[in-house]
Amino acid sequence: MRLAPYIAYLKKSFLRKSAYRFDHLMSILSTCLRIFIFWEIYRTLYGTRQEVDGITMAMVTTNFILSMGLDVVFGMDDNFIPGKIHDGSIATELLRPMSIKGRMIAENMGSSVFKLIFHFIPALLIAQIMIGILPPASPMMFMCFLISALLGYGVMWSISFALQMLSFWVITTWSITTLKNVVINIFSGTMLPLWFMPEWMDRILRFLPFSSIYFTPVQIYLGQLSGAEILEKCCIQIIWILIIYCVGDILWKCGQRKLVVQGG
Amino acid sequence: MRSDTLNLTWIYTKKIMKAWFQYRSDALLRSVTVFLREATGIIVIYFTLLKFDSLNGWNMYEMFFLYSLLFLTYGIMIIFFTGLRDFGRTVRDGSFDRYILRPRGLLFQIIFANADWFAAVGHGGLGVVLFLISAQKVGIEWNVWYAVYYMFAIIGGVLIQGAIFLFLATLNIYLLETSSLKELFYFNMRKFAGYPVSLFQKPIQILMIYVVPFAFVNYFPSQYLLRKDDMQQYPEIFLYLTPVIGIGMYIAAYFFWRYSIRFYKSSGN
Repeated sequence: MRLAPYIAYLKKSFLRKSAYRFDHLMSILSTCLRIFIFWEIYRTLYGTRQEVDGITMAMVTTNFILSMGLDVVFGMDDNFIPGKIHDGSIATELLRPMSIKGRMIAENMGSSVFKLIFHFIPALLIAQIMIGILPPASPMMFMCFLISALLGYGVMWSISFALQMLSFWVITTWSITTLKNVVINIFSGTMLPLWFMPEWMDRILRFLPFSSIYFTPVQIYLGQLSGAEILEKCCIQIIWILIIYCVGDILWKCGQRKLVVQGG
Repeated sequence: MRSDTLNLTWIYTKKIMKAWFQYRSDALLRSVTVFLREATGIIVIYFTLLKFDSLNGWNMYEMFFLYSLLFLTYGIMIIFFTGLRDFGRTVRDGSFDRYILRPRGLLFQIIFANADWFAAVGHGGLGVVLFLISAQKVGIEWNVWYAVYYMFAIIGGVLIQGAIFLFLATLNIYLLETSSLKELFYFNMRKFAGYPVSLFQKPIQILMIYVVPFAFVNYFPSQYLLRKDDMQQYPEIFLYLTPVIGIGMYIAAYFFWRYSIRFYKSSGN
């Protein structure tokens, strides 16, 4: 498999992102405002308490900054395949001598790299100045955080991939992807630190992939997990990627067989 | 006003309803999706207060009550102001030029020629549900006067948000692309208007009271009915200003629109 065309797509997608400057500036502001306001809410909730269930305010702040930052970087184009099926261009895409899945991930990584450099990092700096973030527990933990974050990206990507495949059967996937975002927003820890979930919810979440996206990397960053636990959680991340990807791939194969393109 | 204006409004409304509900199951699914999407904030508050009991003195039901006003007003507002929400697109794809050629007021056409019923049902429905859950539990002794106050508060809230939409739509004439501004100053702010404004720091309070006055959409009207302690830091008069601000803002936005529309240049092809 030659990588060159995929890299070209990655670059193209990176450059496309940089076209709208004003829009981009506003979205950085939006992210900072979101982080800042959740920080305010939790500051009020904490009041004079130093910690709640062993979780300090600084840890909550760090959770919000990191998970909301990663949330920006992990943004998926949920309309990639549905859009192509809708307008019929999927037919020509399938004829190209390259994998459409590969292209999908290349384009997505292009925009993710752009957002990492020009959205996540500026927002992180502003948040650091305004409210402050805890440093990583150790350089080693920081490395593990990066690896786990990459795996989290994988989980997020495979969820988006699998759901997009449903567009072979349903006409509008808007509802499906919107509901996906609702569930991820609530159960991945971006709006609600997962430490504070009630016991029963915690037990349900253990069997779902959502805490693998942002929460595992954040826990590693904060040094909450021992070496063995890190290994275990990362394996869980990998297992989720494999399961969801395989489901998506089966749907993809069935979908292609079923696909009928009229005109285009 | 021409005598057939009402007639035209009715025809528009009928056509919109037919178009939006052409595919019945899809329409239902979409409305439910909007409902659930907007409920995200509520679920987050539910879990948060399950853990922390109260936020700045507001318990879960009081928070739901505060939130319900936001959704009720949006649900009503979007029936009228969808055309303004999507005005950027109308300008960019040139269909605004068609409006100009028709022998009716521009704003009239924009307001009555489109209505996002999925959003109206989704948001409005959530508002009604939250109101029903909370209204009994927050200790309000409902009487005629309160009901009248509540109605005026809703009208005011609708006008405030309508005026913000009208203002942002007017900016399209100068800027062409304002969706990020709308995202930042409207939709982003609205997420936090569900929380008592008193818990934020001064700059954000000023933003929510004086710049994008969401505080008057739900916080002050709720305070009038609930009388929580954190009201003490604001002037008493704020409790009664919602309809006045709504009308004032709408008139101001309307004149800004009238003034700006003269500079409209088609971007179309």
